[in-house]
Amino acid sequence: MGAVAALIALLQTRALAKTFGGVEAVRSADFRVERGEIRALIGPNGAGKTTLVSMICGRIVPTSGRILFKGRDITRTQAFHRAAFGIVYTFQISSVFRNLTVHENVAIAVQRRVMRRAWDRIALDQQALASEVQHALAQTGLAGLGGRLAGSLPHGHQKLLEVSMALALQPELLILDEPTQGLTREEIAAFSRFMRAIAEGTTILLIEHDMQVVLDLSRRITVMDQGRIIAEGTPAEIEANREVQRVYLGP
Amino acid sequence: MNDHRRPVLAIHAALIAVLAGLQVVIPPFHHTLVARIMVLAAYATGYNLLLGYTGLMSLGHAMFFAAGMYGTGLPLLYLGLGAPQAVLIGVAASIVLSTAVGMLTLRTSGVSFLIVTLMFAQVFYLSTLYFNRFTLGDQGFVLSGHLHPITIGPIRFALTDPAVRYNLALATFGGCLGLSLWLVRSPIGRVLVAIRENEDRTRLLGYNPFAYKLLVLVISGAVSGLCGSVYAVITSYVGASFAAILYSIYPLLWTLLGGPGTTLGPLVGAAAMTYTVEVASRFTSSYLIVVGGALVILVMRFPSGIVGGIRRRWAPWLP
Amino acid sequence: MTLEGRLFLALLEGIVTGFILALIALGLSLVFGVMRIVNVAHGEFFMLGAVCAWSVASWTSSFALAVVAAPILVGAIALLVNRIVLRPIHYEPQATIVATIGLLYIIQQLVLTLYGPYARTVTPPFYLRIDFPWFGYSGYKLAVAGASALLLWLTWRVVSTTTLGLYMRATQQDQEMAQAFGVPVYRVYAVAFAIGAALAAIAGALIIPIQPAHYLMGLDALLASFTVVIIGGLGSLGGTLAAAFLIGLSDGVVSVFFSPTLARIVSSALVALVLVFKTGGLAGNDTN
Repeated sequence: MGAVAALIALLQTRALAKTFGGVEAVRSADFRVERGEIRALIGPNGAGKTTLVSMICGRIVPTSGRILFKGRDITRTQAFHRAAFGIVYTFQISSVFRNLTVHENVAIAVQRRVMRRAWDRIALDQQALASEVQHALAQTGLAGLGGRLAGSLPHGHQKLLEVSMALALQPELLILDEPTQGLTREEIAAFSRFMRAIAEGTTILLIEHDMQVVLDLSRRITVMDQGRIIAEGTPAEIEANREVQRVYLGP
Repeated sequence: MNDHRRPVLAIHAALIAVLAGLQVVIPPFHHTLVARIMVLAAYATGYNLLLGYTGLMSLGHAMFFAAGMYGTGLPLLYLGLGAPQAVLIGVAASIVLSTAVGMLTLRTSGVSFLIVTLMFAQVFYLSTLYFNRFTLGDQGFVLSGHLHPITIGPIRFALTDPAVRYNLALATFGGCLGLSLWLVRSPIGRVLVAIRENEDRTRLLGYNPFAYKLLVLVISGAVSGLCGSVYAVITSYVGASFAAILYSIYPLLWTLLGGPGTTLGPLVGAAAMTYTVEVASRFTSSYLIVVGGALVILVMRFPSGIVGGIRRRWAPWLP
Repeated sequence: MTLEGRLFLALLEGIVTGFILALIALGLSLVFGVMRIVNVAHGEFFMLGAVCAWSVASWTSSFALAVVAAPILVGAIALLVNRIVLRPIHYEPQATIVATIGLLYIIQQLVLTLYGPYARTVTPPFYLRIDFPWFGYSGYKLAVAGASALLLWLTWRVVSTTTLGLYMRATQQDQEMAQAFGVPVYRVYAVAFAIGAALAAIAGALIIPIQPAHYLMGLDALLASFTVVIIGGLGSLGGTLAAAFLIGLSDGVVSVFFSPTLARIVSSALVALVLVFKTGGLAGNDTN
């Protein structure tokens, strides 16, 4: 990684804001994520976390402000291009292709990465694709489930499937929106281990409510409340922060 | 998916062979009907690419069918062109129209898309009537006398010969079926299904849904135009009724009946329904009631259609 | 006739058409607003109203009875349709469209079988000729406009002051919330559907002394009311009225000065372009 690349933050927002009707969901957010970190974004419900993240991945158009990815202004870039640039988002309510098989689900994701030239849209090496899919499934422990319908999987496995689809794209920035919601304690533990393994190659931005996961995984934590970023720092710093305590525990 | 490639190809090839053999077996007065059904089945096959595989329901495909029909018929009538050139013009016209319409209508989705395609088709149909002096839309016009024979090498094909017409229709259907089979099993086809299943997810995986939807709409429109062109040639007739709403509802009905999202469904639906309408029209002038009844029953009870039901029960590997 | 004469005629025709159109469109708008479905067979309820009214008027020689009976009969048919077709498919938007297209053909062809392909009219209940400087105008047409206005006002009163109206508005706003508050949503759907059909039917009944009842008359009514509802915005009574007059008047002018076909081309194109370029489309009915 070049010296210059190391200096430029992977993701940066400048005065990013979103107003819905009369409600300011996000107010002037200046947010930075460095390459290689696992960053947690926490805050009470309605703090604006999903809105902020939706603007980053392109699902929502900001009211004002800028978004820079690897130094490049992507504020006006369409959502599907951002995925090609390396920003991949998984939904809060797991969004897989429920009526398709697990294999198909991952194949659709792998295909996107493998389709480089125009010709690839017409003819693709199906064998190579299939083995890549197998590999991706094995990584997340879903190897034997290729033939099952995604909608028939238990909730925890659907979330894993979604993450494995996101990983199949080999993202530079993986954004996970409440990935452990609805998972059992064991599943959460397994998930944390999995996250630490993939963090070697991918920067992770994680919206989480489960404080255990947050403290376990993240190197730095950003806290939002009522549309503003109110604190940022290491887990220890955040735990000691007065503002944060007030927001979570009351005055 | 790979282990069933050979049986799938075999089934499709066998179907074409059966249709080819039919002309020897069935009595001559049935030939025209079967030829018409094959072209209409090809029309439905193109429509199915949009409805069954991409999940977009259009109520405006008659305008593409009619664009092909008029794009072929008018040059034949006024310019005395040869049939091959006229068909090419017809297809070109439908490609231009479907691209223009697609750029506008694909900004909407769901029910809005349905209404917008319907309205554009209405504009097309009414314009055909409005410019009646030029299009002869109201009564339509006949092409006999304008369909000159075509020569390929040493052989001369008379386009008024029923055998030529039958095989022209067969070739059209075969080509469209082949295109459909190839497209749905290609990487593009996979993306179309993904868009149907969950467009938001597909977009966030890095695909541009608009581009894919436009592509399949234009392909579907071009197929419709080709069918309109060939239909004009094999029936020697061009009329505004083919731009009317019934000819947008027919491919929807045939696809739903045969099985949306199956390559073989449209033929089954087109054949079954066209025969039913043919028979019903001999008993009553209210024969369109079978169209109504079929639509209601299908949507209430059999949303997978005939081939879809077969696929679900016995052959999940059918494309 | 002079230019002013033709313009004034177009204006009068436009006003009468506007009121009738508003009535039909209100029915469609009500159904869409409360039930969130597009009823493609709505025009057929208009046609059924005309045909039923003609039948009753012919048998009983009472036009008044016909105008009362038609909406009741058609409303009953609508309740039946809702129960046996729409409810089982759970009012799913695209499925409902396909089903109502089917119903359109079924109703139309049944009427063709039972009533025949002929256009039949009745004599107006009274003859009143209103003389203007350029022409004499049918007093009955103006009475129809008046009756429509009365019905529109009545519907508005029901929607804004009665409990039923409250239920309908609540269901339109937020169906789940309404259900949570104990609103019998499925019954509200049935009533809304019946009222929508009855409004169209009454319009059809009122119109038969002016325009004969014919089994294909539903299609024009459908496209026209579609145009009004989409341009006027959904759920807005004021918008529906304004659009109905706009469409009625411009249709009248274009028809008188150019051609009815051109009028229909323009209004179809307008609907398409409004839907394409207006953000939000059909307000919540876009799947995906």
